[in-house]
Amino acid sequence: MTPQDSAARPNLWTRLQAIDRRWIYLVIWIVVMVPLLFPFPIKPKPTTPVEKLFSYIDTMPAGKALVISVDFTPDTRAELQPMIVALLRHAFATGRPVGVLAMAVYGLGLGEEALSQVTAEFNAHATTHEDSVINGEDYVFWGWTTPPLTVMLGMGERIANVFPVDYYGARTESLPIMRDLRNYDDVGVLVTVAASAMPRSWIVYGQTQFGVHLGCGITAVSAADFYPYVNSGQFVGMLAGMKGAAEYEQLVMERMAKNKMDWGLRNRGTEAMSSQTSAHLAIMAFIIIGNIGYFATRRRKS
Amino acid sequence: MNIATDPWVWIAAILTIAIFSFLYRENPFYRAAEHLYVGIANGYAITFYWHRILVPSLFDPVAHSPHFITKVWLIAIAIIGAFYFTRFIPKISWLVRIPIAILLGYGCGASIPRAVDAELIKQLQATIITRAHFAHWDTAAWAIIIFLGVIATVSYFFFSAERKGVIKPVSYIGVIFIMVGFGASFGYTVMARISLFIGRLQFLLGDWLGIIK
Repeated sequence: MTPQDSAARPNLWTRLQAIDRRWIYLVIWIVVMVPLLFPFPIKPKPTTPVEKLFSYIDTMPAGKALVISVDFTPDTRAELQPMIVALLRHAFATGRPVGVLAMAVYGLGLGEEALSQVTAEFNAHATTHEDSVINGEDYVFWGWTTPPLTVMLGMGERIANVFPVDYYGARTESLPIMRDLRNYDDVGVLVTVAASAMPRSWIVYGQTQFGVHLGCGITAVSAADFYPYVNSGQFVGMLAGMKGAAEYEQLVMERMAKNKMDWGLRNRGTEAMSSQTSAHLAIMAFIIIGNIGYFATRRRKS
Repeated sequence: MNIATDPWVWIAAILTIAIFSFLYRENPFYRAAEHLYVGIANGYAITFYWHRILVPSLFDPVAHSPHFITKVWLIAIAIIGAFYFTRFIPKISWLVRIPIAILLGYGCGASIPRAVDAELIKQLQATIITRAHFAHWDTAAWAIIIFLGVIATVSYFFFSAERKGVIKPVSYIGVIFIMVGFGASFGYTVMARISLFIGRLQFLLGDWLGIIK
């Protein structure tokens, strides 16, 4: 082999630079799947924005409602659905009235699914009427209507005008819960769970005009965009991505254990954290190897 | 192993695999699943718009309202809304400007004053360092970093003066803040995409194949 042949033959770094991306997909697939099959326990430590939202809901005046706006679509279900479930558990465990609406038409099924799951969990352990979680008394699912601007402004005047009938077709005004849930004045905090810029619209229309307190649960992609609103106090707290959901799940589990509701419920966000951690480690390794390869090949070329 | 018997779970699993097959290469299964998704999403939305918006807010009141004026208003508004479809008829396509103009006027009027307050004034207030920030060393440190970050980043986007003298190093610091912001966004994006993949694997391994709990 001549020295020219050796120089022309690609070395390890050069070959890594040109690796077929499907190998990367395969590695990520394995790295995510193995911890799901053989999970290692991870207990996420709640961050400040998550703690703030939890404390706010936990300590808001009795009778004030938690309103959840389902502003996402099924494509981001993995990240955001655990937030809705955890928020509902928190509200029902502390006896808060709950209102749920959807700003995205595709969010209707997701809201209904979360409500069915959590009400079934609570009603399975209920022994009296007071322990039960009942539609129209303890919660209301208003459903969806459009356009968002009209909904956000209209709810400040009278919620029953915006949603004359609920998701199940009942006259909203006839529901007992609506006697004390007339407009934003009766809302302790409205949490928008979104995969879009909808939380910003809630600030602009709901908060600026009517002063409603807002929290948000958002996809990790948009987390960096919403931190300024947490810093300014426009959001009382924020759940960012699946990790934010897992952190909230931990706080809710602790609260439910304190209330003697230790029912061994599943927490989808927390269950995913071992896969998330190993995938992050793999991607960090890819980034480091990629950069070393880039600089090594650049030096070789020069 | 406890494989699902629900046919809908099987359909969802097969469609998920069809979409994932794109990771290997473009193929007819992926394309079929993609087209199915778009079609179903549109059909779902149109159904809800019909039953939840058009029927209760337009057709029912027009048919049953005892007030003649209400009916006239609703029909007039419906006709203006229908002008959107005139864009398919070149001769009268200019009519589409009418509903667009109404929406723009309403949207701008409702948005601009509130957006200025929410997006500008409140954010500016949040950068002001107050005595309360110095109650704890960490809140003080973050308040100072945010203040410096805003000044430096805004100076980077200040194009009315040549970047020399004091503006040069300050705008350079602004670039560092911007890069940190990009890094945070990228990190969060990775987390988001992995989360979605985990969600699908939880479904495939759990709900479908019953391998995991």
